[in-house]
Order: sequence, then structure tokens, then C-alpha cells
Amino acid sequence: MTKEEVYKRLNEVFREVLDDDSIELHDETVADDVDGWDSFEHINLIVGVEEEFGFKIPMGKVVTMKNVGEMVDIILEMGK
Amino acid sequence: MSITSFYFLVFITIGVAFYYVLPKKIQWVVLLLLSLVFYYFAAVPYTIGYLAASTLIAYFSTLWMKRKREKQNQDAKVLPVTMIALLINIAIWFVVKGRDLWFPFASGFMARHDVLQIDAEINLRMIASLGMGYYTLQIMGYIIDCYWQNAVPQKNPLKLFLFVSYFPQLTTGPISRYAQLETLYERHKFEYQNISFGAQRILWGFTKKIVLAERIGIIVSALNSDMSTYTGFYSWIAILLYPLQMYADFSGCMDIVLGVSELFGIRLAENFHNPFFARTSQEFWQRWHITLGTWAKDYVLYPLLKSKRMIRFGKFTRKKFGKKAGKFLVNMAGMFILWMVMGIWHGGLRYIAGVSLWYWVILMLGDLFAPVFLKITNKLEMKTDSFAWHFFQSGRTYLIYAVGATFFSVGVTDGIYRLKDALKVLCVKNYANPWIFFDQSILNLGVTWGDINLIIFVSVIVLLVAILREKHGYARIWVQQQCFIFRWMIWISLFIIVLIWGKYGPGYDASIFIYEGF
Repeated sequence: MTKEEVYKRLNEVFREVLDDDSIELHDETVADDVDGWDSFEHINLIVGVEEEFGFKIPMGKVVTMKNVGEMVDIILEMGK
Repeated sequence: MSITSFYFLVFITIGVAFYYVLPKKIQWVVLLLLSLVFYYFAAVPYTIGYLAASTLIAYFSTLWMKRKREKQNQDAKVLPVTMIALLINIAIWFVVKGRDLWFPFASGFMARHDVLQIDAEINLRMIASLGMGYYTLQIMGYIIDCYWQNAVPQKNPLKLFLFVSYFPQLTTGPISRYAQLETLYERHKFEYQNISFGAQRILWGFTKKIVLAERIGIIVSALNSDMSTYTGFYSWIAILLYPLQMYADFSGCMDIVLGVSELFGIRLAENFHNPFFARTSQEFWQRWHITLGTWAKDYVLYPLLKSKRMIRFGKFTRKKFGKKAGKFLVNMAGMFILWMVMGIWHGGLRYIAGVSLWYWVILMLGDLFAPVFLKITNKLEMKTDSFAWHFFQSGRTYLIYAVGATFFSVGVTDGIYRLKDALKVLCVKNYANPWIFFDQSILNLGVTWGDINLIIFVSVIVLLVAILREKHGYARIWVQQQCFIFRWMIWISLFIIVLIWGKYGPGYDASIFIYEGF
């Protein structure tokens, strides 16, 4: 999986979960940059990502990830 | 020894001297010894056994986890041991500190005995340790971090004991994370900036606590002591002043705590970030008692929401009621549990009602009506980024907090009485008593005009500092950039204010912080 592919699928997940087709994610995107990305949606997004990519993200990573870049790194790491 | 006492200042001065003079290798040992000395003088000494017990439970359970993972693999089953370690910690806290939660029920079973006598006996025998509510959450966080592999288990039990008993945070927190506090074990060079910033912050904390909070406290307790006499606008004064007292008290204490820790070169987490500037109640809680909120989010809310049951529940509700309503129901359930945990942590019905239920209802209503509010503001073409709008929103948020704080302050029954009384001013004819602001009635509350002027004066400084903080990160960074004379004028004036108008000395007990009991 390349980084571009991950971003493409990740954008879809975010748009679907948050009902917002204008979402365009970058490495530095943080929760504050995206409308509606609060604590509750954070978990919905994580579950969405897990279903899209087919693996579980450990809880320890869920609480520590700081931005989308870290999320992508985790996905690349887990998808190996 | 309270952290606002003269002896405490002497104690930290000597402590800081030892800390920087002795070899850097043993700095953490100095901190541990200082913590033990502080505990000996500030609490009932033998209750340190509770801290030791919590430390040992965490120490053995996390090391066991680590060994098992090394022997087998990363997926080794360590959850049962983690759960047991967490439950023992909760149990100790619940029995000792959560007494108000279980005693009313237990006394029902003991009806045949003299309940009051049993109550007194329990009171006598089960003295809680200092800071139990704070360090219990801290050590539980550590155990969970090790379980999640976000922290490497500490091999030295004494070092772990320091993490639990580090003395600045025993009074009212903050609830630190292990990863942040690993600096406790590092070597710290003497730096002038740490000493000056630390001392400045302590001074500022003293101003808030013993000049402002104690003065407002006199008015609020006078009003609370006789609610049937102090009605009408008095109720409004009590309701609106208490949040300010609480803020000056709690955040003043945090300033002292963080300042003391800074003297040792150790940065603790911030617990406040200008809460009264918050536009919504949700934002308010991200700025008030921050370390409790983030603790509950990371260790309670996220694991709960990510549990299989909750995910299944979410899918079910979305299917049944549609995406929006489904999400709202999950929100409601999650928030309810989160706020209950916060209420229970405060340890009594008044907190569960005042903190938890009230806020749960408000946040849920806010969530529910957010789209309607948005439509209204759009239709009226409100300038939502204007100062006036921000002012209105912050005022509303303050009022919402003040209602919850009323329960927190006087309990549920009296709280309802007081809130009803305040409403009567608006609804019942001739009930308002505005003359109390102009005749000498207010002076019956135990304060002089001088005190009231001082409250206003210091509150204005608090507001200025808050504005500076919003713009410069910290007000003292702004002060640091000013010229020498102006800088020293500020600090010397503050010092004189504290010295002259601070409520301290023999016969005056400023030692109790509102948040010390948790």
C-alpha cells in the first residue's frame, strides 16, 4: 500500500463518517481542522478505518495519535 | 503544613537548596525525601501506607505484565492482572474516600445498631491519605499505559513511589501522566529562569488564593449560612460569586503547585486555561480541571466507545433511527457514563447532581439544538466572530456553570431552594431587593467596602492576566519582555498586596482549598 492509496481511502472514510464531502486530509491535519471531529467521532473514525483496512488499531495508539500523519503511519505499519 | 503557610515556603527554600547543591544523580532521592517530610507534616503520617500499597500493586502488576510479554509474546494475556490491579485501587478509594456513596446504603442494613456511632467510628478509623483522589487516578493511568504499552514499567519501586507521592501535586493535583513525569528521574541543572518563573507563579497563586478567594469566601459562606434571610439579589450574589471563588481558589492553588514544581525544573500539566473565556459548556470543560477531563476521556470514554458492545449498540441505533439520531444516542450513553465517573470521583450525591447530571443534560440539549441555534444565528445574520457575541456566549456559559456550582456548593435541596429564590426576583412582583447594593446591608456579610474594592481590583488583574495569557501564552512572558523597573514594580506590588491584604497568620485558617478534599 502506498501513502497516496492510504490517503485516498482515508478521505473516503472521513467523508462518509462525518458527512462532509469537502474533507481533504494532510499529514498535519488535526481534529481542530475538521468540522465535527470530536471525541465521539474520533472513535467512529477509528472504527471506520478498522473496517476499511481490515485490522484493529490498538487502544494505546488511539489515545496517542496526534494528527492524520500519525494515523497514516499506523495504517502503513499495521497493513504490512 | 499547608502549601499557603509560611513553613511551607521555608520548607521549599531549604528543599530547593539541597536539590541543586547535592549531586545531580541523587536529585530524585531528594525529591522523594522532601515528599516524605511534606507528607509527615501535611497529613496523618501513617496514611502514607495507602500510597505505598497503590505503588506496590502497580509495581508488581506492571512488571508481571512485562515479564509475561517477554516470555511469551506481545499478545500474551495480561488483561486479567491489569483489571485486578485497577480494581484493587478503585476498591481502596471507594471504601476510604467514597464513604459518602456507600455509607447511607450500608447504614440501612445496620438499622438495629446506632448508626451515628458507627459513622463516627468509621470516620475515626478510616482517615484518607492526602490526595487520594488524585494519585489513585494517576497510578491507574500508569497501569493502563503499561497495559497499552505506552509506558515502560518502572523497575525501581522507589522511583515509582516518587511518581505517586511527588509532594506538590498531593494537595489538589494535577493528575499527571507517567510519560510527562519521567522528568522526575532526570538530572536538572540550576537555571535562573526556573527559579524566577517558579517564584513568580507562586506569588500569583498566593494573590489569587489568600487575597481574592478567601475574601469572596467570607461573603459566600455568610450567604450560605442563612439562606432564609439572604434572599432575592443576595441569592444572585451567591450564585454568581461562587464560580469566581472556586476559580481563584482552585487555579490559585494550581499556580502555587506548578510554581513549586518549576523551582525543581519539573513542569506539571496545566489544569486551567482561561475557562471563563469559553464560548460553550463543552469548551468550558476543556479549559477547567483539564487533567481530570483528559484522564476520563482517555481511560474511560475511549475504551468504552471502542468496546464491542458500544460499537454494536451504535450500529443498531444508526440502523434503527438513522445516522444522526443513532449517533446522538451513543453520545448520550457515553456522556452519561463519563459524567457519572466524574461525579463519583468527587464522592457524593451533591457532586453527582451538580456536576454530572446538570452538565449531562445541558450538553445533551446543546447537542440536540445545535442545528436550530445555527439556523437562527444565520437567519438573524449574527456576527458570530464579534466581541459582543463572544461576550454573550461566555456569559451564558458562566451562568450555566454557576447553576451547577450552586449544587456543588450547598447541596441539592438547598441548591434548588436558592435557584428558585433567584428566579423569584425575575418573576415575583416586589420580590427584588436592589437597595442592598446601595445601603450598608452588604457590610453585614463580614466584609468592609475596602474588601469589596479589593475583590474588584484583584478580579480586574485576574482578567488582565487572562487576556495576556490568551495573547502571549503566559502573562509572565509578557512581563519578562518589559523593562527592568516596570517588571520589578509589578512583582513587588503583588508581594505587598499579598503581605498586607492576604488572609493568613495565627487565628486564620487559609489552609483549606475547595479541591483539597478529593
